[in-house]
Amino acid sequence: MPAWVPPVARYMAGGLETTLLISLVTAAAATLIGVILGSLMTLRSRALTAPIRAYVELWRGLPIIVTLFFIFFMLPAVGISLPAIYAALIGLTLWTSANCAEITRGAVNSIPRDQHVAAAALGLSWVKSMRYVVLPQAYRRMLPPLVSLLANLVQSSALAYIIGVLELTESARRQRERLAILGNSHSLEIYGAVMVVYFLICLALTRASARLERRLAV
Amino acid sequence: MRFFLYALDPGYVLKTLPDLWAGLRWTLAVSAIGIAGSLIVGLGGGALRAARVPVAAPLVGLYVELFRNTPLLIQVFVLYFGLPELHITLSAFTVAWLALVLWGGAYNVENFRAGFQSVYRGYQEAARALGLSAGATFAAVVLPIGLRTAVPSLTNTCISVLKNSSYMIAISFPELTTTAIGIVALSFRVFEMFAAIAVIYLGLVWVLSALMAVVEQRLALPEGA
Repeated sequence: MPAWVPPVARYMAGGLETTLLISLVTAAAATLIGVILGSLMTLRSRALTAPIRAYVELWRGLPIIVTLFFIFFMLPAVGISLPAIYAALIGLTLWTSANCAEITRGAVNSIPRDQHVAAAALGLSWVKSMRYVVLPQAYRRMLPPLVSLLANLVQSSALAYIIGVLELTESARRQRERLAILGNSHSLEIYGAVMVVYFLICLALTRASARLERRLAV
Repeated sequence: MRFFLYALDPGYVLKTLPDLWAGLRWTLAVSAIGIAGSLIVGLGGGALRAARVPVAAPLVGLYVELFRNTPLLIQVFVLYFGLPELHITLSAFTVAWLALVLWGGAYNVENFRAGFQSVYRGYQEAARALGLSAGATFAAVVLPIGLRTAVPSLTNTCISVLKNSSYMIAISFPELTTTAIGIVALSFRVFEMFAAIAVIYLGLVWVLSALMAVVEQRLALPEGA
């Protein structure tokens, strides 16, 4: 192994940890927000669904880079100073939760309305009928697209590099800049290795999504 | 209008319009090439995959898996920073459209493949029984029916290609996002500039989906056909 590899690999392992951390924290927050918003979107009150629809259309419609930059520059402009990673977490959560809400809405709508009516007849409130009757059935349809959304999130988290978050992509960029000063940037090897790492994570997730889709098919 | 320490100046956007227009033109150019190219790649690749052509189909499958399971950003970096090590140097513009064609193409291969494979096999057997060659069966039966099924997912990919032209800020290609962020970095007019580019991007996405809806309607088969 060439001498330049071990320190670069060690540095990038730290970046990979941050990538995984960002992906997991975002996935948890976005799933919570997305499931709640998606469930509310199936209500018949336009006063409630219209603002949620606007949220979903806005954060799904904007390029993620634009959202990340917006949060990154907006926070200090209104007097909030936080490390860049929080801007990345907020920006990615907005995009992921909007997509999750759309997935939830589709899945909940696919459950016959009779289920809601029956739950209401048994005296369950809307929240309880969602929690105990509708969502447990809808989750079979939600899980495959959510897992593939997670793969998409892992890929999109690479964009956090652009606001200076030291995740996998940024760790690779810094190492290639450092090596470039020493003469040879080894860009092809470094970005090739980054590609392999993302590929393995995302392939595992997309395969899992396909398997879940077959297994949970209703 | 103020929020906390921020005083809003909506008129500022007007001063930046010529710059935004220049950026928007680059965004439109690379998106148009990206969308057209990715549809061509997708059509060819999807046909090879659906017909299970030996050697070609698994190779296309490998391409699809590779490009769908790695971030577009890294693909851009490999093209822009990696290839020069192999003595292939591409301009930022070439990388911008090429990356979008390759990335969108991988998704469109799957969109077309799914469309073609959804075509009822009995139609193809009937066409072959009538004496049509494999190529003629594809052109006259599988393509017209499968294309219609594929339009909604093709629309989604085309919209993603358009939005992902913003990735080219990573190689300082002067498209809309690069231009707008450059202005924000100089002026700190965060809210004004983001409102402007949000309106532009959402407008573009809306126009593109309206166009594709028209295509879908034009292609729609009459009820009961």
